[in-house]
Amino acid sequence: MNSPVATRPHLIEARDVIKSFGRTPALRGASVTVSPGEILAIMGPSGSGKSTLLHCLAGIFAPDQGEVWFDGRRLDTLSEDERTKLRRTTFGFVFQFGQLVPELTTTDNVALPLLLNRMRRHAAYTTAETWLDRLGIGDKIANRTGELSGGEAQRVAVARALALAPTVIFADEPTGSLDSLTGEKVMDLLTGLAREAGATVVIVTHDTRVAAYADRVLMVRDGLVSGDLGEVADQVAAAKAAR
Amino acid sequence: MVRLGLQLTLRSGREAMVRLVITAAAVAVGVALLLGVLAEYHAFQANASQACWSCTTGQPVPSPLPSHGELWNDSVDFYQGQTITRLDVAPLGAGAPVPPGITRLPAPGEYYASPALAALLAAVPADELGDRFPGHLAGTIGDAALNGANDLVIYIGYTPAGLTALPGVPAASKGGPVPGTQWVTSISTAPASEVFTPFFRYAFGFGVLAVLFPLLVLISTATRLAADRREERFAALRLVGGTPGDIRVIASVESVVSAFCGAVLGIAVFLLVRPALAGAALVGTRYFESDLTPTIWGYLGMLVGVPAVAAIAALVSLRRVQISPLGVSRRAKRKPPTFWRLSVLVVGVGLYVYGLSKTTHASIGAPAYPGLLITMIGLVIAGPWLTSAASRLFGRLTPGSSALLATRRLADNPKTAFRAVTGLVLAVFLGTMVGTLVPAVNSTEASPANASLSNVLLAPVGLDPHAGAQLISGLSAIPGATVYPLYSLAGGSGSVGPGLGPGDTAVSCAVMRQLAVLGQCAPGLRAVQASDSGLFDDNPMYNTKPFVDSTNTAYTGNLSSLPLQTVMVRVNSPATLERVRTYLTINTAPQPASGQGSAPTPPRTFGETLQIRLDRAATLEKIVYAAVALTLIVAGCSLAVAVGGGLVDRKRPFTLLRVSGTQVGVLSRVVMLEAAVPLLAATVVAAGIAYGTSILAFVRLAPAGTAIPQLGSDYYALMGIGLAVAFGVIAVTLPLLRRMTSPGNVRFE
Repeated sequence: MNSPVATRPHLIEARDVIKSFGRTPALRGASVTVSPGEILAIMGPSGSGKSTLLHCLAGIFAPDQGEVWFDGRRLDTLSEDERTKLRRTTFGFVFQFGQLVPELTTTDNVALPLLLNRMRRHAAYTTAETWLDRLGIGDKIANRTGELSGGEAQRVAVARALALAPTVIFADEPTGSLDSLTGEKVMDLLTGLAREAGATVVIVTHDTRVAAYADRVLMVRDGLVSGDLGEVADQVAAAKAAR
Repeated sequence: MVRLGLQLTLRSGREAMVRLVITAAAVAVGVALLLGVLAEYHAFQANASQACWSCTTGQPVPSPLPSHGELWNDSVDFYQGQTITRLDVAPLGAGAPVPPGITRLPAPGEYYASPALAALLAAVPADELGDRFPGHLAGTIGDAALNGANDLVIYIGYTPAGLTALPGVPAASKGGPVPGTQWVTSISTAPASEVFTPFFRYAFGFGVLAVLFPLLVLISTATRLAADRREERFAALRLVGGTPGDIRVIASVESVVSAFCGAVLGIAVFLLVRPALAGAALVGTRYFESDLTPTIWGYLGMLVGVPAVAAIAALVSLRRVQISPLGVSRRAKRKPPTFWRLSVLVVGVGLYVYGLSKTTHASIGAPAYPGLLITMIGLVIAGPWLTSAASRLFGRLTPGSSALLATRRLADNPKTAFRAVTGLVLAVFLGTMVGTLVPAVNSTEASPANASLSNVLLAPVGLDPHAGAQLISGLSAIPGATVYPLYSLAGGSGSVGPGLGPGDTAVSCAVMRQLAVLGQCAPGLRAVQASDSGLFDDNPMYNTKPFVDSTNTAYTGNLSSLPLQTVMVRVNSPATLERVRTYLTINTAPQPASGQGSAPTPPRTFGETLQIRLDRAATLEKIVYAAVALTLIVAGCSLAVAVGGGLVDRKRPFTLLRVSGTQVGVLSRVVMLEAAVPLLAATVVAAGIAYGTSILAFVRLAPAGTAIPQLGSDYYALMGIGLAVAFGVIAVTLPLLRRMTSPGNVRFE
């Protein structure tokens, strides 16, 4: 499955990344490249290491061995502070759950990374409300996220990720806790708005319908990355055709 | 970040507000208790450093009398077990020094009394008290001369001639100074050197330590309330780019705000209960409320120190969140506590025992004090290991899902489990020490002989035969009084007080038969020569030793022709006792005040002498028991906060367990077991060490042959109440468990 953007210079590149948790290997020499503006889906069975690969690409984990490059810089050798700054200024995140602060309102949550980025308070809240409007939850700006449905909470997470105008959005099972219809709506919004903003998107999923939104799909098995989708290739193609 | 922290603390919904209120309330309890202890200590210090006018020492009265200064005779008296400080004073010229609390010396025929004594004089019959003091009340003595509101003090005015001609002065000294009268030109402003002050100071130090330790545990527990839940939020902040510094600021703001609110609330609570504390008379004196206040540094320490401790506790607890923005989802397994945690405890006990090896009957070896402190610290350090070991053992022995869930969690995080019960374990340790040592010390002081003499008053009088006969006659006329005279063989009539050596006292054998515990004459004798000096030792363990036995030489002379040296008077009621004391005061010279170990100068019963000593022990006991009780309160708060916080942390897994069919009863037993296993394991160890070390201390300090003390009912009552409160606290949280884990809460965020 070749992407039309595959020939562009790489925005992100992982070379032979090895990562273990204690004695349990998660990645055993994974390599992957992501081009600017590309939407890449990473699939794989449970425990294959796909989330760990995403966390390494996003600078959340430092690999035990191997290299991770972002925009021409070695990401894995950056300090924790520098990687934190990248997460604050350049990356956006949409996870399955746990990424919102339930004590805060939806607007607070979306404005939070902007405030952390030293944006002025009024501007941060205006931007947050604009993005919540665009995601169709402008009527929920005063609600705490603990009071929202799963789909609404994921839309808040998407708004928060996009509000920063990030270079890359990392999404880990973004529809994992949603029903299929709600999941599709969230993916439509995420990928549509990301393309509109020119952002690169890296999605980890086990759902072929989610993978079908991607320009390119990779498979992680036993800690190694492969372009061979195997038995799910047909399902991804079918889902893509159905869209 | 500070603003965000404030928002998360103050404007983040009900859960955050409940957390703030619980934390502030817990901190307030601790702060109020600590301020109470500091205030008591400050009042005690203020008392101990107060100018001691009664410590004034002058010179022998010159002859002829000078024209400046004053004649000064201070003494002590008793009424119903209370001490009255009495000053008889006569100015010798203009500008005679005035003792504190009054603006001028009382004129002859006048007296000034402290407010408490003035009230007493108005309330009781004159022949029981008022007749002892010649003249009329001219006014009350101000606080400057008093240690507390209940102090009984009187200044009585005389002319110089009046003071030297007091009733009962031996004929030979008529016209000369009354015994104990001095010539004073300036009044002492130095504090009293009280023998027991250092002991009270140690007891206070012990009390502060006992409260401070669990208090720090309470503050750190309270500020870590629902820490796991909070850490998940912080992880979310890290994910979107919050730096570790940002998280530290937010966490610190949360902790500082709640601890500051708690400190302010605690100060308010303390100020509300301060009047009640003033009446508590922890060291036997009812302090003036104005003295019962911490210093300004005490208040500042609370307002600054407590939030600082809270911030430190919060920052220490954040170490795990700094590892990863994914927070708890990738938490590394905690290292289990190792056997080495016992080492500090072993060192502490070793040092304590070494200190005891240096202990004599007179003093405790210096290393024992740090040994005790290190033992307490060692218990806290060893607690997680004990918890882990006990949970493994419990898990092996006990089947059932509750035991499985509880022991797995205890084994996974024994530190957190033990933290909840740390205060209680320390309270058990201190309570066991007190429960062992105090009754043991008391038992050495209450000899059976004391009981039979408890209503016998002992008064050295030193009167010539004629005056002596008059005194005996007058005392015998008081209904309910039986007089036992002791005569002087020392020659003359001036020998006041105990006999001067072997054979210097003569006593009737009929009298000795009435006072059987003081010994018996050989059969057939009418009177014997003896030495009665043992009667005047201020030591209840020895003052009832017999001073007559079958070896005493017979006295064949006429007793009534001898000077009257001492009278013992058996009384049948407290009123009779005070009438006898009043009669003696009027008809004999006031005796000079003297220090510990000297003769008991005012007339008092053997029972009162013993009671004074027991009161000192009881005061120490009261201070330490108060510390144990406070520790139990603080520990109960810690446990409540920890159990409540643990429930909030585990809302999700417990709810999922309920959704999957687990009964609430099973979860309740899990919560109960999680507290009970570490509590019981560490309690057994703490009580065992405390009892063992106390017995060792007792063996070193008590006279040889004293029975090894057993723990009394007070101890079991205190510990039983403490443990019952602990389990009661856990039981109170169980309805919360049912509500929090309702299946309707399965959607979390």
